[in-house]
Amino acid sequence: MRPFTLNYARPRVLPAVVTPYRYDSSMQLNVLPDGRPAVSDRELLLAAGTTTSTAGSQTHFDD
Amino acid sequence: MTVLILTSEQDVTADMVVAELHLRSVPVMRLDPADVPGKAVLSADYAHGDFDGHLSVNGHVLSMGGLRSVWVRRPGEPAAHASDSSSWLTAETRQALYGMLYSAPTRWMNHPRNADQARYKLWQLRIAHLSGFAVPPTAFTTAPRVAQQFAEEYRDVVVKSASGPPPGDPASALPTTLIGPGADFSTVAAGPALLQRYVPKRADIRLTCVGPRLFGARKRSAPGQVDGRYGDTGYAWETTAVPDRIAKSVQEYLALSGLAYAAFDFAEDEDGLWWFLECNQAGQFGFVELETGQPIAEAVALWLAGRTGERRVPESRG
Repeated sequence: MRPFTLNYARPRVLPAVVTPYRYDSSMQLNVLPDGRPAVSDRELLLAAGTTTSTAGSQTHFDD
Repeated sequence: MTVLILTSEQDVTADMVVAELHLRSVPVMRLDPADVPGKAVLSADYAHGDFDGHLSVNGHVLSMGGLRSVWVRRPGEPAAHASDSSSWLTAETRQALYGMLYSAPTRWMNHPRNADQARYKLWQLRIAHLSGFAVPPTAFTTAPRVAQQFAEEYRDVVVKSASGPPPGDPASALPTTLIGPGADFSTVAAGPALLQRYVPKRADIRLTCVGPRLFGARKRSAPGQVDGRYGDTGYAWETTAVPDRIAKSVQEYLALSGLAYAAFDFAEDEDGLWWFLECNQAGQFGFVELETGQPIAEAVALWLAGRTGERRVPESRG
């Protein structure tokens, strides 16, 4: 029997955005192709949606 | 003295804090427990009459004697990235890593023991009530009859998940949802259902707490909107003042829970009353800072960089 709560599950729209940054182990943060820290481009972070309250919900439920 | 951040490499919200620490020339080590063993190496010993321990990753080295603070942000499961990962290896690695960190006299944001308890929704409601927040009537039950009676008494009732969507199914979401009339509650017997009286709201409130500092953010709700995390309403997060009564309750909640960081969610009703919905002990703040310009990452960095004190006893709940 399917638990009651799961009757309200909905398909999740998976983000199609490919994050245009990579982790730099020496700086210990993610950098853009031109070497700038990704956090220096706030418009990009907003567009990527990787800081939202649902971004980590698949692994961290306390968002 | 070094700040240790436990998180994944993909966590750009942590980047915001790392950048602030770099600005202040505060030494930092960023480590994902999933990378132990392997990319990251640990060693702890109780020998020569005292405890000592070391961590290294990507050329960065940290001694437990030089540990300033620990920020538990988005850590992976220990040993998750190991070539021969297993539940046993995760358990062994957890023992080694967290046992070593718990033995160090440092400050935590947040201590895992406090964090584990703070994740429980029913416990949150209890602490919220004790702290003086307005808490919507709530039931968490496996009894269909109780669920039916709750829905009949409060009419407009939402169902929400306490632990998020089922793991391993990234294409599934479980937003807080209004239960329609005529719901069949028989399947409540197959799994606990968390039901709560719906709060008609005019706005969502996100209140981020970093130590004693409070950052209030407000986003208008669309008519009939239930879960503010889902659906684009066109409204943005804006800075809002925190009422004194709420600030007092927040401080009480943090004292009772032992949390150094928390992100509270409230529903603001038509009368302006903030109803407590939940307290996320590791809640995201990146989106709030990006939209409002509130210096939350700076506040986290300053807290982590703060004076360590001379504790001989490892810190958990005070």
